[in-house]
Amino acid sequence: MSLFWIVFRQLAEIEAMATSKKLITREEWEKKLNDVKIRKEDMNKLVMNFLVTEGYVDAAEKFQKESGTEPDIDLATITDRMAVKKAVQCGNVEDAIEKVNDLNPEILDTNPQLFFHLQQQRLIELIRNGKVEEALEFAQEELAPRGEENQSFLEELERTVALLAFEDVSNCPVGELLDISQRLKTASEVNAAILTSQSHEKDPKLPSLLKMLIWAQNQLDEKAAYPRINDLSTAMLEDPAV
Amino acid sequence: MSSTTTTNSSNSAPPAQDPASYFVDLLRHSSPWAAEDSHDREDEPTELNTLNSSGGFLVVSTDKLSVKYASVNLHGHDVGVIQANKPAPVKRLVYYFEIFVKSGGAKGQIAIGFTNESFKMRRQPGWEANSCGYHGDDGHLYRGQGKGEPFGPTYTTNDTVGAGINYASQEFFFTKNGVVVGAVYKETKAPLFPTVAVHSQNEEVEVNFGQRPFAFDIKEYEMQESMKQQTAIGKISVPPNVSYELVRSYLQHYGYEDTLNAFDLASKSTVPPIYIAQENGSDEQDILFALTQRKTLRQLIRNGEIDEAMSKLREWYPQILQDEKSATCFLLHSQKFIELVRVGALEEAVKYGRIELARFFDYPGFESLVQDCVALLAFEHPQESSFGYLLDDSQREIVADAVNAMILLTNPNVKDLQGCLRSHLERLLRQLTVCCLERRSLNGDQGEAFHLRRILNSGKKAKC
Repeated sequence: MSLFWIVFRQLAEIEAMATSKKLITREEWEKKLNDVKIRKEDMNKLVMNFLVTEGYVDAAEKFQKESGTEPDIDLATITDRMAVKKAVQCGNVEDAIEKVNDLNPEILDTNPQLFFHLQQQRLIELIRNGKVEEALEFAQEELAPRGEENQSFLEELERTVALLAFEDVSNCPVGELLDISQRLKTASEVNAAILTSQSHEKDPKLPSLLKMLIWAQNQLDEKAAYPRINDLSTAMLEDPAV
Repeated sequence: MSSTTTTNSSNSAPPAQDPASYFVDLLRHSSPWAAEDSHDREDEPTELNTLNSSGGFLVVSTDKLSVKYASVNLHGHDVGVIQANKPAPVKRLVYYFEIFVKSGGAKGQIAIGFTNESFKMRRQPGWEANSCGYHGDDGHLYRGQGKGEPFGPTYTTNDTVGAGINYASQEFFFTKNGVVVGAVYKETKAPLFPTVAVHSQNEEVEVNFGQRPFAFDIKEYEMQESMKQQTAIGKISVPPNVSYELVRSYLQHYGYEDTLNAFDLASKSTVPPIYIAQENGSDEQDILFALTQRKTLRQLIRNGEIDEAMSKLREWYPQILQDEKSATCFLLHSQKFIELVRVGALEEAVKYGRIELARFFDYPGFESLVQDCVALLAFEHPQESSFGYLLDDSQREIVADAVNAMILLTNPNVKDLQGCLRSHLERLLRQLTVCCLERRSLNGDQGEAFHLRRILNSGKKAKC
């Protein structure tokens, strides 16, 4: 095929794409929406999955009663999981480690990165509380040997120990380690590991379905103009731009 | 429908405008007769099509899974080409098949690829329009023109070569001895048949439509392809609290008040606390409308206490039950009937049915459900009968949802009917489903079907 033909064909395709975008009116679209079969019990499951994964144990219990939806995990395990999460969020890392091991000692055994991050968090808490000597001892005994095994652990250890070098940690380059967000990060890592150990997905399904909706709308935009939902929280249908 | 409208609501008027009839439809859909969208099962190629091949030039084995070039080729049109008995299935992510070259014969002019239904059975795949072929003697790829383009390595005796269609990327791809050789855009949306060709003396190939393990790890390929999509989706960000808000408005919408209270209480103590913008204050008021009453009625219905639910409803919202032939009345009466059957009070059920259900018998839209209800009487163990679905918990839930929606509709501020029938969450799920279906239909119905149920039930290993 000559170059001319290739260019010609591509131009023709581009033109066709510009003009052949299918227009779907609101009326047609609503008819399609009405034809979809959504089961109530499936929506209930989706909500239950959110409550369970995010750890709303009381709400999950109530929802089980009010809607008859069975949770996809033993509700008692949520309480334990949330206790661990909360312990990390409050800075009681030692307590959290103990609780994880009570739940299932394999979680930390099989997950060296998580264990390292918990120990790192413990070091951060010691520094936060001004226990310099204890922090040094802990870093040398517990963290340094692990750092030698793993380059990325070593780098994180360096960053953490650097906290000790500053008098005013609130204004130093590694100060973010002392931020609440660092605790939340560690807490959600533990949370995910516990869920995985319980053969449960670590993330709720609802947010990924919402992502999928945005993705599907974007994909369809390439081929059609149709009523979109732009604001997920109101779920209002907006007319296609013509 | 005729355009004439009768002003007096006659008895025969179809209850189409009755919002609660929406829930009657839902009930009908929950019956085992309602077609589940499972028609994405397709035939797959299983053997070679001996009826439509260039007979004379090739010999097909008795198991119809291998071919051999039988004569000495004289000129270019003596191709021995053969298609599979069925076109490649399209409602999936990937289709794939393989050949094993038993003998490269005199010239090794073997080809593998895909051809359409009207393909001329004297040509190599790729020589004709709407076909594509990877040729063994030159390693070239042919797609619609007589001249090939350099593509991959040549192949011959003892090589295993595969051809596939990736419906997500709309590409043909080829493999040699378990390794991808390359891919090329598939222009046609027409059904395509797996095709092989032999073209010189003693060339012999065996075809594998999946009856034996493939040399190529197709499962892994498939997984990586679906990961590509997953990764693209994963990169999309949604506003942080939107899931939380949707769950909350879902609980409000359906009147799950106890859950809502526990949910609100817990989210106050999360770290960091969840902050919800309160700008849509009026919406919040509307969705909280009659929350406690809706909760109470739902509980009664879920417990099977239909009489109590109806008397409460009469007390609080007499207008809802005013029309004795409304869908709401029908749903409650049929549920009451079902509850009587459940506890084995059959005589009472018969009596109740005569008084309260008989009048719905000739109602379009209601009659099949009435019949199903009454049919329960015929079975000693109605639970195990094909009408047993009526005794499911989900049935009560739908009746409760109908009452809930009717109460929401009595709110003088209510703006649209849809908002009372469907929660935000449901509207989003419908939009998601239609977008996926529409995208696929614009793609010639090729690729994986979208199944919300499958997504919801995935990743859950039965444990505990």
